[in-house]
Amino acid sequence: MSKLKIDTIAAVSTPAGRSAISLIRVSGPETFKILSKLFKTGGKKAFPLPYSAYFGAIVEPDTGLVADKCLVTTFLAPKSYTGEDLAEVSTHGNPVVVSRVMQLLLKNGARAAEAGEFTRRAFLHGKMDLLEVEAVSQLLSAGTASQARLALNQLDGLPSKFVARIRDRLIHNLVQLEASLNFPEDAVEAIDEHLLAIEIKHILAELHVFARNARNGNLVADGLRIALLGRPNSGKSSLMNYMLGRERAIVTDIAGTTRDTLEEAMMIGDFPVKIIDTAGMRRPGDRIEAMGIERTGQAVDSAFAIVGVFDGSQPVSSEDILVLDRIKSSQKPFILVCNKTDLPQRLEESFFSGCPTVEISSLKASGLPQLVKTLREIISSSGLSELEEMVLLGAQQSVSLDKALAALERADQGIGTMYQDMLAIDLEEAVRELGRVNGETVDVNTLDLIFERFCIGK
Amino acid sequence: MEKRNHFSVIVVGAGHAGCEAALASARLGVDTLLLTMNISTVALMPCNPSIGGPGKGHLVREIGALGGEMAQCIDETCVQMKWLNTSKGPAVRSRRAQADKYLYRQRMLNTLFNTPNLLLRQGHVTEIIVDGGRVAGVRLETGVGFSCEKLIVTSGTYLNSRIILGRASWDGAPQNQSAAIGLSDSLVKAGVRLRRLQTATPPRVLKSSVDLTKLTELPGDVDAGGFLWENRLRRYEKQISCFLTFTDERSVEAVRRNLSESPLMLENITDEGPKHCPSIDRKIMKFPDMVKHQIFVEPEGWESQELYLQGLTTAMPPSAQQDILASVAGLENAVVLRYGYAIEYDALAPGQIRKTMESRVVDGLYTAGQLNGTSGYEEAAGQGLIAAINAVLALKKQPPYWPSRTKSYLGVLVDDLSTWEKPEPYRITPGHAEFRLTLRDDSAERRLAADGFRIGLVSQERFASIYEWSARIEKEIARLGVLSLLPSGEARERLARFNSGDLKKPASGNELLQRPGINYQEAMDLLQQPFESRLTAADEIYAVETEIKSSGYAEREAEKILQTAFLEKIHLPMITADPRLQVLSSQAIQILNSDRFDDLSQMVRKHCLSRTEVAILLSVLAENSEGENEVEVKND
Ligand SMILES: Cc1cc2nc3c(=O)[nH]c(=O)nc-3n(C[C@H](O)[C@H](O)[C@H](O)COP(=O)(O)OP(=O)(O)OC[C@H]3O[C@@H](n4cnc5c(N)ncnc54)[C@H](O)[C@@H]3O)c2cc1C
Ligand SMILES: Nc1nc2c(ncn2[C@@H]2O[C@H](COP(=O)(O)OP(=O)(O)OP(=O)(O)O)[C@@H](O)[C@H]2O)c(=O)[nH]1
Ligand SMILES: [Mg+2]
Repeated sequence: MSKLKIDTIAAVSTPAGRSAISLIRVSGPETFKILSKLFKTGGKKAFPLPYSAYFGAIVEPDTGLVADKCLVTTFLAPKSYTGEDLAEVSTHGNPVVVSRVMQLLLKNGARAAEAGEFTRRAFLHGKMDLLEVEAVSQLLSAGTASQARLALNQLDGLPSKFVARIRDRLIHNLVQLEASLNFPEDAVEAIDEHLLAIEIKHILAELHVFARNARNGNLVADGLRIALLGRPNSGKSSLMNYMLGRERAIVTDIAGTTRDTLEEAMMIGDFPVKIIDTAGMRRPGDRIEAMGIERTGQAVDSAFAIVGVFDGSQPVSSEDILVLDRIKSSQKPFILVCNKTDLPQRLEESFFSGCPTVEISSLKASGLPQLVKTLREIISSSGLSELEEMVLLGAQQSVSLDKALAALERADQGIGTMYQDMLAIDLEEAVRELGRVNGETVDVNTLDLIFERFCIGK
Repeated sequence: MEKRNHFSVIVVGAGHAGCEAALASARLGVDTLLLTMNISTVALMPCNPSIGGPGKGHLVREIGALGGEMAQCIDETCVQMKWLNTSKGPAVRSRRAQADKYLYRQRMLNTLFNTPNLLLRQGHVTEIIVDGGRVAGVRLETGVGFSCEKLIVTSGTYLNSRIILGRASWDGAPQNQSAAIGLSDSLVKAGVRLRRLQTATPPRVLKSSVDLTKLTELPGDVDAGGFLWENRLRRYEKQISCFLTFTDERSVEAVRRNLSESPLMLENITDEGPKHCPSIDRKIMKFPDMVKHQIFVEPEGWESQELYLQGLTTAMPPSAQQDILASVAGLENAVVLRYGYAIEYDALAPGQIRKTMESRVVDGLYTAGQLNGTSGYEEAAGQGLIAAINAVLALKKQPPYWPSRTKSYLGVLVDDLSTWEKPEPYRITPGHAEFRLTLRDDSAERRLAADGFRIGLVSQERFASIYEWSARIEKEIARLGVLSLLPSGEARERLARFNSGDLKKPASGNELLQRPGINYQEAMDLLQQPFESRLTAADEIYAVETEIKSSGYAEREAEKILQTAFLEKIHLPMITADPRLQVLSSQAIQILNSDRFDDLSQMVRKHCLSRTEVAILLSVLAENSEGENEVEVKND
């Protein structure tokens, strides 16, 4: 880590103008130097002591005027929220008083903290792990309730605590295994492979659930992708505009207008989604169209759900059949839209049989509530609504989680027939990768742990 | 005046490090002087009478493969040879030998005397002569001086050493020898930083006073073979046993009773001792609920009447030691011949040696063994060998030999040592080796014999026979990859008999061997290979089976090895003039430019360079070297 000059920051951390008491936090190397200039305490207790509270007054050094009577709580580095010297000044809630105290702090060497700066310092000093920091930034930028919930889960340390706990269980077993491998003649109990096998199965099951929650978490954080699919001119772009409530996509009566996929974000109930308009499906007329159609295929693959769009004013065409086949073979949740209901209907009703269908007129703006309702049902039946359990992982963290899972799968399959030294290699890999999921780069010093736990020694 | 007072290489100390160093130097054709305080205690084993075990045994095998002496010497002088960990897997399997301490010393002494280019002399070195930052020679207590090009100091536990026994303590060295006084001061004057370490040893008791009938007998393995490649199939028909007994409540009580006299409580000794050799007092204090501690009772030689009590290490006063012994089954009436004691000595403070064992402080000075902060005979011998090889290469102005941690335990040892920062002494175990499936005990020659040949410690003839042997193994592995078993009804029936699953499509010999429960001979039976075409030697069959059965793991390990080996080849210090590297932290830049580490892999392992920083550095380096090293380093 590069050696940035760390200064001292201050900020009001209770919501402005509301409570009877306001809390001002000061953090950084100069914290107590600044406070000694401003804060006069009556008692004989030395200032500052680790985790102590002092009654006293904030006094303007030049005039000797008392700005406010207050309580100061002191935390000495590294035992504080930020890991630095930190003081909490509880003043009266009066906004005038609060701003006067703040002014005094700033005039005497503190700097007004930027958004998120206390958190960032906490991370720099190892007080938070990566998952938690990612969560704080998510929380600050959360657009929806579901995203905020997700960020809160992270902040509560749920996922990192979970991963840390699983990792500790693995370390416990690894240490015993390694003890018997490294010190065969010491009285280390051989590991009970039967019990270990059960333990690995349990851990795998829990980690798989975690991995699924992580996938869901990433879905929610990025927005669920909903692709509009249909033959040219069926009204996909019109439907997108209707859903968004504004003219986003170009609409013409020329078949093949949309040549590239288009994405736009919106909300479906509590959930952020991305609507994806695609190029109409048919045999391509030129190269650019062919590329657009290929992109359509990718949009289907990456979609969470598909909306099939059909022109109700036309009889079923071979292209419509192609579209429906593609939708059904995608194995994704879908809903069919019979569009253009304002015109005389010539699409055979039997074409939709057995599939969830809604009737819409994009032109006359009717039928959307029914579509939204069905999409909500699709989302909730996918299990995504159990927000309490969702997790967010970065790309690197997901890779590490997958590696940990793979290593444990090998251990699970091999245990009983495989040599213990190889079993240990798998457990070690799982421990290492789980550490990376939580952003820890600290090595597990297995040997030190062995000496702590077992009486090794000839 | 001495007749001759200049030698290319001088080695100080004829312990395990010094013997190995002097022999390697002389065998490489360099005139070598070995100076030691007492010719009667050359290659002394002041503690346990055994060599080997996981990690340590691997080192001995590698010393043998590279052309060192310890493997041969212990093979010839052991009273017992044993396999350890055979059921736990190929990576941790190793041999352990019980030594006849007296024969070992005698044989080593003979070898030293009979090696051309080598002169062994008794003498107490009190000063190293440094001239302009370079080693120039040594001076003895008698005032006699010798000059040299390269100096290898292996002073073991002797520098300013102090013996501690209860409240008593005096200057002295193992076996009532005297401490080496003077050399420490001289090293400090040359700029070397020292620290104090301690270690201790258990009492030895008279064999006839021990009731062996109360003890469990632990015989050796007749077919364990020796450490040296040539001895791999040797049968040790005649062996003597070790014995096992345990402490109980009475012993714990006895230790507690006497605890006030323990140096641990008296605090008359440094606390920095080997973690893996705690004294019985420490064990009982640290694990108060544990009552049953094992005591291995080991012979010290064929004829020796002394028994070594492994597990009862202590420096409590004699009366306390008697008290404790009286509480242990079988040892109730044991007569103590030598009391256990602790010794405190000077060793190098961390951060002063390179992977080559050369000093970072004084040019031409090499150090090896206990002086470098290790503990154990095998660790000492390994370092002595590497130090001498590098001293000779430097003498001949050739590039140094940097054993890689991806290729040998020797590499792990010197790499760890040159970056070791912990207060306690270092001891090798498989836990230190991250590539231990590759560094298997059985593959030592396949990893190192070529190095030994290139260096000059392995003869052409020896290398040729090792090469032939390893080619046989590799050819057989290749053949098994080509042989194939078709899923006929008969084949499936036979497989079922092995309880080893079904056969749906043709399976190669490799695939068959990878199935649990099928060994080489069974695979060959299934493949209907005639006996004449098969391997016959047990060690070759073992190697084939192991390589094939662990190939999945070995492949994953090989990927990681590539990355470490690549980083190891980028030596430090490097001059980072490229302005783009200013994005690295100033601390990282400073270390890159400094002499703190030998190579980039050390810097990464010590977390002095983040993964992002490595990626930046490597891409800049790759650009500047115009595709010289086109290796992709995955960010793993
Ligand atoms: C009491 C005791 C307990 C031990 N316990 C353990 C244990 O539990 N586990 C373990 O692994 N290891 C233990 N050891 C350590 C083991 O003995 C050493 O690791 C090993 O012998 C080190 O080898 P070396 O070559 O470095 O030094 P040594 O074997 O100590 O040899 C040093 C040699 O250098 C000579 N010498 C020293 N200074 C000079 C000088 N100035 N001039 C000339 N000659 C000099 C000495 O005479 C000696 O021959 C113990 C050692 C002792 C003494
Ligand atoms: N009457 C009526 N016309 C509609 C409706 N929806 C779309 N249209 C018309 O149908 C034509 C095609 O509409 P688009 O939205 O461009 O169709 P598309 O599916 O995006 O077509 P491509 O991009 O070419 O694949 C336009 O002329 C629209 O005005 C509707 O609900 N009622
Ligand atoms: Mg369109």
